[in-house]
Amino acid sequence: MSAPGQIEPTELIARARAGDTTAWGDLYREYAPAIFRFCRRAMPTREDAEDATMEIFMKLRDKLSQYDQSRSFTAWLYRVAANHCWDMLRRRKVRQGKETEDVDEMPLEAPEPNQLEKLIEERTSEEVRKALDRLGVRARMALVMRYYSDMSYDEIADALGVRRAFVGVVLLRARHELRQALGDTSVLAVGGTR
Amino acid sequence: MSEQESTTNKHLSEITLLMYVERQLDRDSAQEVSLHTQTCTRCMNLLRALDRESRLLTRAMLEQDEVLPARIANFQFMVRRSMQWVWGVIFGLAVMGVYALYTGYIEPMEHQFEQAGFSGTNLLNLLVFQGAFWKGWQSMFTLFQAIALAVLLGLVVFAFRKYIKRGSALAMMFASLGLLGAFASPASATEFRKGDTVQVHKNEMIQGDIFMSGQILRVEGTVDGDVFAFGQQVDVSGHITGDLICFSQSARVSGKIDGNIRSFTNNITVSGTVGRSVTAFNEVFTLDSNGSIGHSLTIFGQTATLDGKLGQDFLGFFQQATLSGFVGGSVEGKGASMNITGGAEIDGKTNFEGDKPPNVSSDAKLGSPMEYKKLEHRGAERGGGYYVWQIIWAAAFILFGLVLFSVMPKFASEVVDAAENIGASFGLGVLVLPGVLIAAVITCILIVGMIVGISTLLLWLIALLSAKIVVGALIGRWIMGRTSELWPMVGRMAVGVLLLTVVTHIPWLGGWAKLAVVLWGMGAIALGLYRRLQPVMAPNIPSVPMGPIGTPLPPTTTVGTA
Repeated sequence: MSAPGQIEPTELIARARAGDTTAWGDLYREYAPAIFRFCRRAMPTREDAEDATMEIFMKLRDKLSQYDQSRSFTAWLYRVAANHCWDMLRRRKVRQGKETEDVDEMPLEAPEPNQLEKLIEERTSEEVRKALDRLGVRARMALVMRYYSDMSYDEIADALGVRRAFVGVVLLRARHELRQALGDTSVLAVGGTR
Repeated sequence: MSEQESTTNKHLSEITLLMYVERQLDRDSAQEVSLHTQTCTRCMNLLRALDRESRLLTRAMLEQDEVLPARIANFQFMVRRSMQWVWGVIFGLAVMGVYALYTGYIEPMEHQFEQAGFSGTNLLNLLVFQGAFWKGWQSMFTLFQAIALAVLLGLVVFAFRKYIKRGSALAMMFASLGLLGAFASPASATEFRKGDTVQVHKNEMIQGDIFMSGQILRVEGTVDGDVFAFGQQVDVSGHITGDLICFSQSARVSGKIDGNIRSFTNNITVSGTVGRSVTAFNEVFTLDSNGSIGHSLTIFGQTATLDGKLGQDFLGFFQQATLSGFVGGSVEGKGASMNITGGAEIDGKTNFEGDKPPNVSSDAKLGSPMEYKKLEHRGAERGGGYYVWQIIWAAAFILFGLVLFSVMPKFASEVVDAAENIGASFGLGVLVLPGVLIAAVITCILIVGMIVGISTLLLWLIALLSAKIVVGALIGRWIMGRTSELWPMVGRMAVGVLLLTVVTHIPWLGGWAKLAVVLWGMGAIALGLYRRLQPVMAPNIPSVPMGPIGTPLPPTTTVGTA
């Protein structure tokens, strides 16, 4: 899953596993910005993202011994991050008593290709990010896992606790929800930070 | 609709096209989609749109729109630095307080006690329970509740810090404060007055407490509350319905005080009326012939003269005392000499422990025969048995330490390491020693329940007993060097504990050394626990520069790598 050409920090990880605090510092410095952006996309507020980033790295310290060095560290790290963020969101949802997986009921009518093309052309990356805020937690999480960290369907299914066959549907519903949010110009006009 | 498309009976579903874009279809299905889209313009367009949508999503996700916030860029470093600042302040305040108390009051008093012939081992107890700010259990209970609630709140927030978001933590704090406010009795206003000469004038009426500071302080009017006086000369000729807390060179009370007097003065004369008790740390105390004290009198001083009327008991530690008035209760005196003149009347027992027998006039009226005991100085008091017991106690401590080191060697080692951070340990000890005890007691009575309270109390007691072991182990390590093995560690602890046992039995110094060891050790245990609970990731994480982040972590950006 790691980017082509990217070198896995094998030695750094080995040193961190051995308790080398400098190695931990280096790992954190290298990976924290990306994990923060992941959390920023997945979590509803900036503060949540900051907290989640720190907690993920704290968790990482305990879990690093479980990391299989024959596999991609980046992929493993994103999986830890995704699981953590999803756990947080799910717990919060349970606490708030909201079972708003709302979009499951939404009819999936295929869009008119030309309209979709137009929508895509008119919208900027920033507008897409703002529109993400309007999505349900599962939809947003699914999009972030897929298009930010490039997780496989199996990994997404595992993190979200759904069947693999259902991941495509979740992603499609998320896209529909996103299109709806993007089409709502009033939403886009709101602006500001989340 | 094109001609080719019209030959296709059915368009492909969006999910099928998405799965194709995402490369999630099996080979056969993918070939079908490929063939179909070659002939169906609509499906081909939708396929392209979906692919473009995927690219837009990926681009939007991966754009580095925000840098890593400073809070998390160097979060560990930040925690450490703030901790140092907090410990610095706590320790600084504690040192200032102890120094001021010691040089201003304790040291002169110690000198007087020494002259009076008795040691200072009970000094701490006396300071706490008979000190200026001790207003009886009932009055202090509200304060304890507030402190206990604050400590408990702090512990709860600390324990559940992972689960409490900033918003809810703030809400919780405000709710608690609101709760405290709701249950607190309505406080009357407190007035502060400062100047060379500060007065409550004759016709003036102060509602609530008043703090007065200056050269000359006079209360001629009425204060419906407590008076806290910090000055050179204090003169009370008016009426105080509460207590007089007095820190001054000289004080004279000719008016009426319904409550108590707590005084730290060079000399104080009471010629008026005190409704309740007097506790005085003075060089000279005089109860004038016109003066009266409703309840008891406790004196620590050089000279005490009682001409007036005392409703209940007299307890005095002095060099010289003269009793010529009325005492409604018993007299307990300890000092160099005591005179009981002909005009004296004592209804209860009279005991005196001193260097020489008291001089009792034959005209004095005593409720029971005078009892005298020659003062035995501490050195003589401690026979062989005493030292044997101390050795047994030291051995018991070492055994206790051995058990602790065996049961949890890693934690024990961490705590001893924490003790090396002397400032932080002391600072935390100052907080934990009274704070946890109070919280535990109040929890037993009021808040959570018996089990939690008793468990906390037991933990506190264990920590109290372990304090000497921790400090002993550290001192042993300083002397004999570091080790990570159990038995050498126990050996070092034993040496340290024995040394501490000797030091804590040095006259005068011993009491303070004991207190220092308890604060240091308990603080180190608390610090060790704190560090263990604190999720430390890397103690020396370097800060991330706050500019644009160099190399991001680039996840694969291609769409559809299944």
